Parts: sequence; structure tokens; C-alpha cells
Amino acid sequence: MVKDLFMFAGFNENSQIVWFKIIYSKEPGSLSLITDFLEKENAFIMFGHLDNITQKTGEYSVFTELKKDIDPEKFARKIESLEVVSGVEYGISKYGMIYSVDFPLNVIGVRGVMARALTIVDIIKTLNESVPHAEGLLTISGLKGGIHAAKYFKSIMPLNDNNFADVLAELYRAVGWGILEIECDPETCEGKIIVKDSFIADVYGASDQPVCAFMSGYFAGYLTEYFGKNISVREVSCKATGKKVCEHIISLAPSGSSQEYQTRGEPR
Amino acid sequence: MIKQPNVILGNDELLVTMGRKGDILGLFYPRRDHAQHVEESVACIHTGEKLLWTNDNDWHSIQNYIEDTNIVSTKLYHDSGIRISILDLVHPDVPALIRRFKVQSQKKISGKFFYYSNFNVGETSKKNSGFCDADARLLVQYWQNYYIGIRSLPEFTEWQIGKAMDTIWWTNSKYDMEDGKLQRNKEDIGNINNAAGWDLELEADGANEFVILMGAASSRSLLYKRMHELSKLPLEYIFEKTREHWVMWLAKKQVLKMPGLEGQNNLRQELFSAYNRSLLMLYLLNDREYGSFVAAPEFDSNFEKCGGYGFCWSRDTSEVVLALKHSGYPEYCDRFFKWCIRTQLPDGSWFQRYWLNGDIAPSWGNFDYSTQIDETGSTLYAMDVYYRILEGLKKVEFLEEVWVSVLRAAEYLMKRTKSGIHESCMDLWETYYGIFTYTNASIYAGLMGASHLAEENGEAGLARRWKKRAEFIKQATIDRFWLPEGYFAKGIINGKLDKTIDASILGSYIPFGMLSPKDPVEKDMILFLMENIQKKLSVPINQGYGIKRYENDSYIDGNPWIVTTLWLSEAMFALALDLPNEKDEKYDENVKKMTSEGIKCLKWALAGATSTGLLPEQVDKSTGKPAWAIPLGWSGSLMLDNILLLDKLCRRKVGNSAEG
Repeated sequence: MVKDLFMFAGFNENSQIVWFKIIYSKEPGSLSLITDFLEKENAFIMFGHLDNITQKTGEYSVFTELKKDIDPEKFARKIESLEVVSGVEYGISKYGMIYSVDFPLNVIGVRGVMARALTIVDIIKTLNESVPHAEGLLTISGLKGGIHAAKYFKSIMPLNDNNFADVLAELYRAVGWGILEIECDPETCEGKIIVKDSFIADVYGASDQPVCAFMSGYFAGYLTEYFGKNISVREVSCKATGKKVCEHIISLAPSGSSQEYQTRGEPR
Repeated sequence: MIKQPNVILGNDELLVTMGRKGDILGLFYPRRDHAQHVEESVACIHTGEKLLWTNDNDWHSIQNYIEDTNIVSTKLYHDSGIRISILDLVHPDVPALIRRFKVQSQKKISGKFFYYSNFNVGETSKKNSGFCDADARLLVQYWQNYYIGIRSLPEFTEWQIGKAMDTIWWTNSKYDMEDGKLQRNKEDIGNINNAAGWDLELEADGANEFVILMGAASSRSLLYKRMHELSKLPLEYIFEKTREHWVMWLAKKQVLKMPGLEGQNNLRQELFSAYNRSLLMLYLLNDREYGSFVAAPEFDSNFEKCGGYGFCWSRDTSEVVLALKHSGYPEYCDRFFKWCIRTQLPDGSWFQRYWLNGDIAPSWGNFDYSTQIDETGSTLYAMDVYYRILEGLKKVEFLEEVWVSVLRAAEYLMKRTKSGIHESCMDLWETYYGIFTYTNASIYAGLMGASHLAEENGEAGLARRWKKRAEFIKQATIDRFWLPEGYFAKGIINGKLDKTIDASILGSYIPFGMLSPKDPVEKDMILFLMENIQKKLSVPINQGYGIKRYENDSYIDGNPWIVTTLWLSEAMFALALDLPNEKDEKYDENVKKMTSEGIKCLKWALAGATSTGLLPEQVDKSTGKPAWAIPLGWSGSLMLDNILLLDKLCRRKVGNSAEG
């Protein structure tokens, strides 16, 4: 998941934001030694993250605010001189932007990026305005992402009927795409997904048509990969059209020659 | 997304462009410029667990032509031990592509072989219609009177016609293959795609063969009949017939000897191959019905990064047909000049570019200030060059045929050069408006040609008038554009003399002959400008150097071009032949130097070709790989000219009086 992130709102010209990645031996009290040292040296700890590398060593990534006149290199070497510390890396966030200790970001097993919601919605809008079959194109783009997500989760954990929905909801929340309420019967593969605060609908602006085809596709890809059956997901209600929340209906994809008509409006 | 081909094949009605992994990028029928019916067409294998698309990065490929033919062999190797050999050929008489896939695997496979296509029949994704006739085992997609069909040997056992880009994604043939079986939907309309499938049962080290027949027709019944008849013919028979067709066509060529080059590390053989490949490539760019040529098979039809190449420029084509004539194929001149007569504008000029049928093409040269006057000069000049080569009755008939066109074109040039240099227009690179050395030289050559034709036609008065103007243009160009630094300025842009060195100033010597090496002063001018071009426009890459168009060129990264490099080498070879023989050491030294420098340029151009030997427009200045338009007809024609001149030089060197 996205980790080691810090957003520094504001900018203090008398200080500098410096992160340290500290490899330490996991003896009792060793972490306290490090934090005590930082405090003593007036390094204001803004955010910290612990990672257990092995049973004996740990990694402590910490964002600090240091006075401008402190040399981060020397400071890093001071930390390194602590008995419990075996290695220190550091970096400077010169302008207080979003910064990650580990570059590049990793999101569900592959490289990730951060973007403003509007950046992505601008792409979606441009497609909707200029490209034929934009809705289909966005559905298929989302589909690929959803398939990848389910494949990834299956590879790292036992994905089952009890957790497949929770995993998807947690992912959406973590990457800031929306808050999900999922009802889906694994027996019938039918149900619905309510998306609150969909990042697309929230910033798209008013629209006559639902605008979250990318998400429908993502859900379809995720569920298709999980169930091993073709799943249709379509957005029947969208916040961009004035509804309270976005709602996506889940069903088994129809088969047979009249499949198109079953998914579009009234049956003929 | 713009994709460049690595290979092309076809016949008179069909032109196919392919990527290096045998993926079809373009299928043009019935003309080379329209309509392009394919968005994507590629094979894939379902291993029983997953799909392997044959154009994925996981495959390594080796692609080449079968020698002296437009038949293509592509070999694909996958890390998993699967190997696919693809043989692609287009039947010489009917618009049908035949693709034989031989699939081998080191491990046992129980899966599927799929062939997927996303056709945009009629060059549109709208209002297409597709169906699978399960009885005839024929997949068909059509739009108006364009029909594309797929049949196979053995017959496919499953299929899908689905929506290519729709929210009902599960009907999409591309996704339908994921689970290893197709839904067998029989018909659909709109933006659709299709797939055909076969069982693939391979023992370890076993092999399976699948032959795909992809045909085009103007009606449903013709397509059915064509595909039915084709499927009855043994592949070996079609292969032999196709091979024979190309070998026979090549047999008409002017034979090269290149004596004296035997010792140069395969150079002789490489040049023979490049000569044949350029001829075979130009065949495929030509429209047999109209006589026109596309500059290159279109690869940017949306004009995303350029103005497109799938049109006919009379400048490029004039050079192409003359090169073909010199190579032993005079018929291309005949047909092209007929096309020119038909397409000449009412004011006597030729338009920037045309569709192959002669219709005006999309253009940024619609006005007097934005037209390219050099196209009129080049065309007129080419007519005279052709006339000079002709003999006997043919000569008389040609003059009779083109005379009115010559008269109109020459008067157009007169109208636009009253001050001795041309009025403002667009340059040959389609980048600047102004007055240019190259354009003036082309007008000079056009008017000199017209003057000769007038004289031959008994119009001495006109001949004198046009010649006088041509000489006036030559003098004015030298007076106003020649720089003390030893080269021509590019021209006048925004009212100011632009001293940028531009490789097109070579046009003052080759092809337009405004400067003559027989005149000592002009000979020195030619030498100076060649030296300056080498000095200022050389880009080192591929163990040599290529010539870029001009200083600060920003089009597609300012790469070196094959055209400009071969232009320089052609000038070197021509000069080596044209230098007055003063029978001294210096003469020998100069000829030797010109020849060896020219050969370096030729080698550089060959190093920048595709793995199949096709010459691109440019060579990437960082990677040395072929760049942008592939193949470019103009590059091919310059390769022919260069090789023929080098052949002449070699023959002369060994004292062979039969110089061709």
C-alpha cells in the first residue's frame, strides 16, 4: 500500500524537511534511543513509519523538521554513530511537497503515482467530449485495472467469499477513490456497490449522464477475476447527475445472441 | 497510436504493412491510399492457462523477405519455448493475403490458436457490420462496397463477432479469448472486432500449422467466390506462383555489375540486394491504375504528429519514376506523366499533393503564397529528362501528349518569377514561407526543360523566352543567395536572407543541374557547398554520419535523413563522373575521394534500413534505428540513382566502355 507519505502544508523558510531511513537492531529500547536522540538534537519528528525487515533488524523511516543551518549529512552520520543503528539514508524535501522515502511509490505490487483527482477527471472529460465510444474505452481501461488488483490480492493472500468485498473497499479508501458499500452474493454474483465520495463524480461537475464508467469497469474486472465468470457492472445512479451517491449494479454478464439488449434499457 | 511498419507486401490492389512481429498494421484496398481497413490483426496462443499475444514484448523476432520477392518470413521465439514461423504472401492476381503459421513448442501444449482482428472496414469504425457464416466457415466484415473476409485451413472451429469498444466488454473478441474459448456470436454491427479459434494440441517438440486467408472484395458474392476458390489452391502452388511473379518482374531490371567492389566486405552483394529491395518496394507504392505513388504507406492518418504520407507529391514521384526508368522500368514514367496531365491545375501548376486518383489531397498549400512552386519545376524538368531518353516514335508521341501541359506549366513559372527569383511560396520541406535556393533551382531546371521541349516542338520563340528566363533565375539566385562562406543561403524568409545551411541547396547541382561542373567556377561552388553540408549537417551515428535537413531542424527531433544523405552521395558520384578528366594525379585523387565518401554515405543509409532492408525517411539520431516514414519512396529512388551511378563509376574505372 502507499506508505511513507507526508504532505507538508505550508512552508517555513527557517527550517528544512528531511527524512531519514534508519536501519536499527531490534533490541529492547533501541527505538527509544533513536527517538530520544532526535528529540535531544531538536529534530522535530513529524511522521514516522516502522517496517520490520528481519527478526533482528528494523527500518524506521522518519520525516523531521530541522533547522535550516543543520547539515543533514552530518546529522545522518550522527544518527549512524548510535550503537543500535547500522545504516542511515536521508533525503531533503526542499519545497515541502508530497514526498516518499521509497521512490517510486508502490501500489498493489506495481509502480503507483499520485495525482490530483482533477488531473484524472480532466482526462476522462476530454475522452468523453472528443472520442467515440469513450464510455466503452473507459470501461475497458478500468476492467484491466480491476483484473490486475484481484490477481494481485489472490497472489498475496487467500481471497475468499468472506473478504473479497472488504479488500476492494479497503483498496478504494486507501488510494482515495471513494468509500464503498458492497453487497454482492457470491452464489448468484448479483448485488450492488454504493460509492460515496467517488473521486470522479465529486470533481466532474454536473452531467446528464453517469460519469463513472471507469469505476464500473474496475469493479467488473475485479469481480470477473475473482468469480472466474464474466461480470457486468453498470452505473445506474451517479452523483454527477444530482444523485446522493453513485450506485453500480452487479450481475452476471448475459450470454447468447441478444446479450446487448439485455444490458441496455428495456428488453425488446 | 502511431506504429511504424518493418515490412510491406502486396499486389496491384492490396498493400499490407506489418510490424516486426507479423502484426498487421495496415491493409489498403483497393488503392494504396484508401481505404485502410485494419486497426489490429494478430495471432495469439492460449496455452491452457493464459493468452500469449504474438506482438507482445515477450517474443523475440527475426523478420526478412524471401530473397528477390515481396514474400515475408517472420520467426517468433517465446521464452517459454514456443516458436512460431509465419510466412506471409499476397497472391499476385487477387487481393488476398495468405498467412501460414507454424507453431512449435518444446513443451506439451493443450490450448488454442486464435486469430484476432479489429477491422475498420472502409477506414471507419462506424456502421461496420460483421458476421460469421458457419457453413462456409467465413468471417466477414463489411461497410458499403468494401468486404474483408477470413477463411482458414484447417477450418476454424470457434469464433466471435463482438463489440470492440463498448461497455458490454464481455462480447469483445479480445476479451472473449481470455478464458480460452469463444462465444460464437454470429453477427453484430457498429465498432466490432472478431476472432477465430482452433484447438492447439502439441506434444513436446510437436508442430501445428494454420493458414489464414484474408481477402478483400467489392461485393459479398465476389468475396465468397474468391475465398472459396483460394482455399482450394495448395499453398505451395500459391507460393511458387507469387515467387515467380516477383522474380520475373525483377528480371526486367537494368543489370548491375559493380566491377572492382568484390573485395569490399559484402558491399557489392549488399548493394545488389538494396537495388532489388528498392525496386520491389517502389512497385508496392505505385498505383497501377493511375500511375501515381504514395510517398509512404500512411501511418498517421489522423495527422497526429505530421501531415501524413499516404498521398502523391509530384516532386517525389518525378524522382521515383525517373529512377525506375533508369533501372529498366519505363512504364512508370508513361503512366505518371499521363496522371500529371490530368491533375495539372487550371493555372498550370501542380498542387502540393494529391490522392492517388488525382483528387486534391488535404493540404496546407491552398494559396499562391502557400503552394510549393518547386513541384511544378520538378515535374516539368522530369518530363524533359524522360523525353531525352526516349527514342523514335515514342519520343514524338510523348511530346505531342505533354506539350500543352508543358506550355501551361512553363507559363505558370514565368508568371511567378518576373524578378528573376520566385514569388513567395512554401519550401520543399513544408516548413517555411519565402524564396528558396532549391525552389529557384527547380524552376530553372523546369524552364530549361520546357525550352528544350519547345525547341523540339518547333517553337523556337518560346524556347528562347523560357531559356532566357531560366538563365536570369540562375544568375539572380547566384547573385542573391551565394555566400562568401561557400554555399547558398537557404533563401529569403520574412524578408531577410536566411543563411542557414540547408541540404536542399544540393538541388542546384543534383538533380537540377543549375550549376555545372564543366564550368570551373561552378565546379568549385559545387565542391564548396558539398563540403559545407558535410561539415555543418553531419550527424554521427551507426559508425558513420548521416546528413540532417538543415541546422536547427526540429521536425521529429532533427534526425539525419536518408534522402539528404543519399542526395549528397549522389552529388559525389555524379561529380566524380562529371569532373573534366585532366588526366593528372589530382583528378584521380578527387574521383577516388568522391567515390569513397559516397560509398560511406551509402553504407550509412543501408545501416539505417529495417531488418527487411526497407529504407526509412530518417534514422534516429540516438539509436541509429529507422525512423518515421517507412518505407519512403523518395529514399528508395535515391538509392537506385546512387547505385546506378556507382555502377557506372565502377565500370568506367575498370575501363569498361559499356557504361550502361
